[in-house]
Amino acid sequence: MKSASQLKFGEKVIIKNIDSSHPSSRRILEIGFTPGQEIELINSSVFNDPLAFSIRGTLIALRRNEADCIKVE
Amino acid sequence: MNLSTNARIPLVTLVGPPNSGKTTLFNYLSGNSFKTVNYPGATVEYSLGKFQSKFSLQADLLDSPGIVSLVPNSPDEEVSVRSLYSHPELGPPDLVIVTVDASQLSRHLLLVNQLKKANFRIVIALTMIDILQRKKLDIDVFRLGELFACDVVKIDGRSGKGVENLISKVENIFLLEDFNSHETTRNNLADDTSDLISTFKEIEKIESEVLVSLDDSSILPNISKANKQLRILIDPRSKIECNKIDARTLKIDRILLHRIWGLVAFFGVMTLTFTSIFWLAEPIISQVDSFFGMISNESLKLFGYGWFGDLVANGIISGTGSILVFVPQIIILFLILGLLEDTGYLARGAMLIDKPLSKIGLNGKSFVPMLSGFACAIPAILATRTISNRRERLLTIFIIPLMSCSARLPVYALLLAFILPREKSWLGGFLLASIYIFSIVCSAIIAGIINRMRNKLIKEEDNSSFILELPAYRTPKFKVVLNNTISSTTTYLRKAGPVILTLSLILWVLTNFPNINPDINQAGLNEHEVLNLIKAERLATSYAADLGKIIQPIMTPIGMDWRVGVSLIAAFAAREVFVSSLALIFKVTSEETTLQNSIIAAMRNATVEETGQKLFTTSTIIGLIIYFVFAMQCLSTIAVSRKESGGWRIPILQIIIFTFTAYLLTFISVNGLRALGFD
Repeated sequence: MKSASQLKFGEKVIIKNIDSSHPSSRRILEIGFTPGQEIELINSSVFNDPLAFSIRGTLIALRRNEADCIKVE
Repeated sequence: MNLSTNARIPLVTLVGPPNSGKTTLFNYLSGNSFKTVNYPGATVEYSLGKFQSKFSLQADLLDSPGIVSLVPNSPDEEVSVRSLYSHPELGPPDLVIVTVDASQLSRHLLLVNQLKKANFRIVIALTMIDILQRKKLDIDVFRLGELFACDVVKIDGRSGKGVENLISKVENIFLLEDFNSHETTRNNLADDTSDLISTFKEIEKIESEVLVSLDDSSILPNISKANKQLRILIDPRSKIECNKIDARTLKIDRILLHRIWGLVAFFGVMTLTFTSIFWLAEPIISQVDSFFGMISNESLKLFGYGWFGDLVANGIISGTGSILVFVPQIIILFLILGLLEDTGYLARGAMLIDKPLSKIGLNGKSFVPMLSGFACAIPAILATRTISNRRERLLTIFIIPLMSCSARLPVYALLLAFILPREKSWLGGFLLASIYIFSIVCSAIIAGIINRMRNKLIKEEDNSSFILELPAYRTPKFKVVLNNTISSTTTYLRKAGPVILTLSLILWVLTNFPNINPDINQAGLNEHEVLNLIKAERLATSYAADLGKIIQPIMTPIGMDWRVGVSLIAAFAAREVFVSSLALIFKVTSEETTLQNSIIAAMRNATVEETGQKLFTTSTIIGLIIYFVFAMQCLSTIAVSRKESGGWRIPILQIIIFTFTAYLLTFISVNGLRALGFD
């Protein structure tokens, strides 16, 4: 399944589920990355990591390996 | 309120997610007068104040660390959440004011929902209304209050708008009859992710019920008002609008997070911050310095030149001066960081630098503390609290003393002036910049090495994570930033002040006793020269000199003698003391125009006592510079490092590793330079 770290800039997708084996998964859910929400890759740092996503009207920066556990449709 | 049944002052706790305007509201409500209380044995800290007297509300006010959820995610969060339920000293809160960013409703209502489930009595304070209005939206406060069965108030903690309203709601709650009989059993929340997902579903439903579009009201104000009252027809576009990112923020980010321009802007901002810390503070610092020099001289005249006068002048007054001399730089640093944070840029800076820092075991969030370390390590170590991962926080605390703090500046200035011929003094700025770059590169290497050996040294494992909200850009409010700066600076003074003063008094004793009234041959000397000679004799026969002679065998291999050793010991109070104690121990008389030139002249004449060779040469001076780059040469930093890391492990490692590295590299460079033919 595709994950949020593989998105192209401006690509809008819906979150399918969050891989609960990742140690940050609970926090990622708590800050609003829940299944059914639309996310878009807005920006990345100069080194391509972390990535900034738009979610629920705000921008959240996540490390690439954390974005990996956000599975999208 | 019935006083007989309510003699205890109620406790109001402020809770909110990071970036929800909680601390700004706290500063406004408490009027910046608060003390910090520690959870025993932990590094989590709270600000405790009272409501400003103008609100005429008798209650304690506690500011808790920002939390996303009531289910803790790290050991520190666990402490925060446990203390929210019942603070070890203050007990459970009677009322919780929860700050909610109105433009982030669907994310921030999670905490409100959890607080309700845990059975806290709450008031919701909606912040950032201006950002929501920029999206042409508003919130139906009445409906939101109904849905959560609590009071809801719109506030602006920056201007104070709506705060009066908040106060009166709080007062009303305290006046309620069932206030004291309120069921205080709190429920603990289950750590269940499926529950979390359904909670978010509920919140989304609430969000769509309370968001109203401002566009309608501007066109047809009466109809919109009627709609609000009847709660029919909520524009379905509201939710879509709300989930759009602020357009201005996107535009600015296109430049500030751009591959090339983003880096240019980052280095521009850093350079500007640095230069302002140094050049803006410079004139104020010299004012403070000469002011304390003046009252120190005056008090010598007043109390005489005996031990008591010297204690007042050189112990107490100079000690106080050495605390206050850094205040201008610290204020400027906090001001700039505050402005950058209030605009929303600091989070972007942390994001830009996260990748390179993570390679050496640090975190993007280590960036601000490390930057502060260039002014002073003490506020820098205090700033590491924002790093949630314990291992990364300890490594950041560990590495901060290697940032070239401002107390090293006078030392470098003197040493560089010594090796540079006068006609080439313009090289000084260039060499100084090289020392800074050298220290940054070396600290990165050391952090990398320590990170490799972290299992043996730091002994903490924690999930490394970088999850950071990039807030919408806003125009900073200078008054708010100034308020926060004042409170951070007072915290610094309260923390570091007593430590630095005590240490300078101890060092005063060490450098003046036991021979407080030495016999001097006064023949042919004027009063000034006699005084200087007495001071020099006191130091040369003091306990510090005894210590210096003990460490003589260590100093000889690096080309130095006990007199340099004494100055290095004296520099433990604060590094810049190295310069003044060199002046004392080499019996500097002010023949030259400036103190620096006099010291340099005396240094040029100094010889090693046994061999008669010159003591200060290009090689030993470069050796000293390298020593100051690495050595853990500041007792106050050691004290703060112990307190903030929660034990002696980190400070002891810092002392051993940094001092050993300093000595080794000094040894190598002095002897290497000599072997290469540089004297």
